[in-house]
Amino acid sequence: MAEHTKIIAVTRFDPERDDAPRSQEYEVPVQEDWKVLEALNYIKDHLDPTLSHRWSCRMAVCGSCGMNVNGEPKLTCREPLSNYGERVEVAPLANFPVVRDLVVELEGFLEKLGALKPWIMLAKQRAPEEGATRQSPAELADFKQFSMCINCMLCYAACPVVANEPDFLGPAALATAHRYNLDSRDEGAAQRAEIMRGEGGVFSCSYANECAEVCPKNVDPAGAIQQAKLANVLSWARSFVVRRRAAS
Amino acid sequence: MRGLLLRLEPLIWGLFGGGMFVGALLLPAWCLVAGVLLPLGLLPAAEFPILWEHLYYQLSQPLGRAVAWSAVALPLWAGAHQARHLVTDFGGLRWDGLVGGLCYAAAALGSLLAAFAVLAL
Amino acid sequence: MAPPRPPDRFPAGPRYRSYLLFGMGSALMLPLGFELLCALWALASGDAAWREFQAGLRHPLRIAGHAVAGVWLTWVALRFFRLFPKTQPFRLGPFRRPPDWLLVGGLYGVFAAASLALGLWLAGRIGGLG
Repeated sequence: MAEHTKIIAVTRFDPERDDAPRSQEYEVPVQEDWKVLEALNYIKDHLDPTLSHRWSCRMAVCGSCGMNVNGEPKLTCREPLSNYGERVEVAPLANFPVVRDLVVELEGFLEKLGALKPWIMLAKQRAPEEGATRQSPAELADFKQFSMCINCMLCYAACPVVANEPDFLGPAALATAHRYNLDSRDEGAAQRAEIMRGEGGVFSCSYANECAEVCPKNVDPAGAIQQAKLANVLSWARSFVVRRRAAS
Repeated sequence: MRGLLLRLEPLIWGLFGGGMFVGALLLPAWCLVAGVLLPLGLLPAAEFPILWEHLYYQLSQPLGRAVAWSAVALPLWAGAHQARHLVTDFGGLRWDGLVGGLCYAAAALGSLLAAFAVLAL
Repeated sequence: MAPPRPPDRFPAGPRYRSYLLFGMGSALMLPLGFELLCALWALASGDAAWREFQAGLRHPLRIAGHAVAGVWLTWVALRFFRLFPKTQPFRLGPFRRPPDWLLVGGLYGVFAAASLALGLWLAGRIGGLG
């Protein structure tokens, strides 16, 4: 396999030594079919064992290896190096605090995701003898696209609202919440409604559509959030009719 | 103010969505035809000034009044909401309550005046 | 930990630029809505007020402003109608959402028809005294 050299400029940050992140260049002999992640692994294995980066599955499923490549959020395990010139800049995902080098802090995201209760909630627990809850292919199609999220965080790194409004729950978390609201087996929409329309909820989104542009799994969180806004407006309007009927 | 806006968000977003739709449909033609082509006399055989009777006849019908109010009031809400979000986009989140309050107050006032105008037609 | 940095390409990257230009173009609807309010007010006030309003439209600065706003908002409308379909639910009762290309094509068609109708009406070619 043909081999040539590329300069990989990696953002380095050691919280014990550095005041701020800095860039370090490595000359890496790359092969034609390499992905960006393979160049990082080469640096770690052969040039500089102190480099820290996250990765696991190498097949765009685990969502660990998201980084900014030449300024654009990418899954490095599936981003061909051949898409870039002789110098490639790899930085940690934007919009997240940096723990070390290319590793970002995800605690804030996990709290937001948990607050939206991303699991199937039932009004009344079913007994095992009642059997499985059935779902038709048409009902599955109502939310399947939004269930493909791998929590890779590229959408957060691209979103201008996340950058300006730290409380914004963000694309992946809100799309996942909407996914459960659309699930025919779920009865938890009312419990999610308050947080979804509250501070940093769906209405903070200004539909920049960046999340949809960078999503590697075609989830389209932007579509999910706009749909959730519409559903929210309709349920808000319905609540007046119900209240009026109850009063009369 | 931010708390109030947060509670009204579904209503505001509904008006915004309707305003984007109506504004996107009508405002380009309004700007280009009434704002450029007619004043410059670039449309052959078109009257300018536009005859008062011509517009009044259509707009004073019940449907015409509804369309006229929607065409004026809804884009105000769309513009107000976008202006508010632009301020946040450029880092002005701390003024969100003030900016949002002013923008929506302007849109609400305009909507009210538009209602008076269509009733007076 | 190092604090978060904003997206690397904001605001100059091409997609962010489109988004911001869309926001600014749509924000023009606020002043334009007030202009339409003035037009409506003038119409309701009678022929003389309506003529006076139109005399203002002849001012070169207003013509230039309208030209810029007209082109800008046409682009805003095209982006809006392109991004509109996916904001709608996948299913409405038994009906599934039509494919995006069909919805976008339909919306572009409606936009063209509405613009043409409004233009012809303003130009006095349709919708006269009956």
